[in-house]
Amino acid sequence: MSVPQSLSRSRTSASRDLLRRLFRTRFGGVGLIILVVVSALSAFAPWFASSGPMDLGSPALQPPSWQHPLGTDSLGRDVRSVLLYAGRSSLTIGFCAAAMAFLIGGTIGALAGYFRGAVAAVLLRVTDLFHTLPAIIIVLFSVSLMGSSFWLQVAAVALAIWPIEARIVYGQFITLTEREFVLAARAAGLSTFHIIFREILPNALPTVIVQVSLDASTAILIEAGLGFLGLSDPTVPSWGEMLNRGQEFLELAWWMSVFPGMAICIAVLGFNLFADGVTEMFNPRASAVAPKLDS
Amino acid sequence: MLRHVAGHMAQAVLLLLSVVVLIFCLLQLIPGDPIQAMVGDMPVPPALRASLEQRFQLNEPFLQRLYGYLVNVLHGDLGYSMNYRRPVFDILAERFPRTLLLAGVGYTFGILIGIAIGIQSAVTPHRSVDRAWSSLVLIGYAMPTFWVGQLLVIVFSIHLGWLPTQGMGPMVSRASGIDWLLERATYLVLPVATYTILETTRVARFMRASVLETLEQGYIVTARQKGLSRREIIMGHVVRNSILPVITVMGYSFGTAMGGAVLLETVFSYPGVGSLMVESVRARDTQVIVGVVILIACSVVVMNIVVDLLYAWLDPRIRVSSAQS
Repeated sequence: MSVPQSLSRSRTSASRDLLRRLFRTRFGGVGLIILVVVSALSAFAPWFASSGPMDLGSPALQPPSWQHPLGTDSLGRDVRSVLLYAGRSSLTIGFCAAAMAFLIGGTIGALAGYFRGAVAAVLLRVTDLFHTLPAIIIVLFSVSLMGSSFWLQVAAVALAIWPIEARIVYGQFITLTEREFVLAARAAGLSTFHIIFREILPNALPTVIVQVSLDASTAILIEAGLGFLGLSDPTVPSWGEMLNRGQEFLELAWWMSVFPGMAICIAVLGFNLFADGVTEMFNPRASAVAPKLDS
Repeated sequence: MLRHVAGHMAQAVLLLLSVVVLIFCLLQLIPGDPIQAMVGDMPVPPALRASLEQRFQLNEPFLQRLYGYLVNVLHGDLGYSMNYRRPVFDILAERFPRTLLLAGVGYTFGILIGIAIGIQSAVTPHRSVDRAWSSLVLIGYAMPTFWVGQLLVIVFSIHLGWLPTQGMGPMVSRASGIDWLLERATYLVLPVATYTILETTRVARFMRASVLETLEQGYIVTARQKGLSRREIIMGHVVRNSILPVITVMGYSFGTAMGGAVLLETVFSYPGVGSLMVESVRARDTQVIVGVVILIACSVVVMNIVVDLLYAWLDPRIRVSSAQS
């Protein structure tokens, strides 16, 4: 078993190297830190919250104070506590829906992009069919048909965002299969499997990681919209659902709307900054080229 | 070129037909009594039940029902709203122009400003300028549509009292002519501004990335070696080549813009198709929901045809290859 050991050692040093490169980009490191902090705050919510998400003990509609740093809501709950617990469902929807979208969209995009011809024609028609409809419309439609329990919501969001993933992966495969190194691999008689997984995929990976990260942020935004419209699972506290509650008290209690909105904004920003960092990391010349134009 | 156009039209019509078929199939999945689902949460009189059963051929086989449904849709018969007590087509015809106005203006502003910011951000020799634009764009991109609207309402309507909070005009208006137009415009400012902010951030992101990619191409190096000025390179080579991928994104982001209408119109109580959709989901008025979905699909398909044509016109590779085939 000496081989796995040496393998894992080289792998950790490689991932450490990737991390170092990510932190050298403009925003990548910030994005990763935001994601880790926000996830940790939600995952360990009981440690940071003063009360449970359903504890109604405090006086209602109190402005931010030392005791309630983010105020209390119309039901007398500590907004900070609800916010921390609500992050769990919002982030879970983000991660799970993005993963699901990647599995569906990535597979379809890769198959269409590599095989082209009739396969691509059929797969792209299906993708177009779904992509024709805006994500929020698909989600609203499926929620109105199937109901809005938590996992149905995740599935609805994934169903709405996979076409983007398919398009991006398809685009990558189309460009990359034209490249010299793929032509060379073909000419050398390497197998289709080898070409897809060892030649094309590693080169498409940065773009794919970026897209998955962006998908997660889209999913969080869609959930927020659904919650805001009062159509998310009413039994699960989420940031969108908090905003729905806050809308009624916009003039009386701005803190009920502003803080959940900020939480959404920060989480989405985390995913987007991370995506931006990865883009820059694998395209290092991009930022160095602009000044040269002056010469 | 003509063949290229015709091909795209045919594809678009097929796409729309398949959207309708997909929706029809999804509707079959609703559990429970289809007539009850069609009518919504309202009691169904036996006479109506019988007429609906006959009209939707509920006792006929699947394919025949599908055919009947397609024929109805193609004749503009999208059903009857039990919630509004009007034909769905009439409601849509009244509300769609409003949404189109809101989304169209915001979308146009957003694209123009976004492209400008993207280019500026990518070609600026000052790192701090790029950083400032990129940070602003990233923050704008992360904000939920409706939350931006709410913040604008808090600041400009509730706090400063400059602009109306909601609706698309006063209950009673005495203004006429240009005054009437200006009055209407004040109601549009906040929703359009929200739209513009979001569309700008989306376009600026893509444009910046696209310009940076273009700058790496060999022909830019060649242009520089030919001694072209910075301005000539950017206007003549960079912008044109960078806009191509952004145009594709624009086509699809029109759909997102239409989707954004759903939330934005709810925030501003703007009576377009977006708020219609939300009201109908709440009232379980399925016929209207389906009508809105089909309408939005149509508008996105039309927009994509426009984008395809624009793309073909701008990209000589497509123009030439379609002429040869």
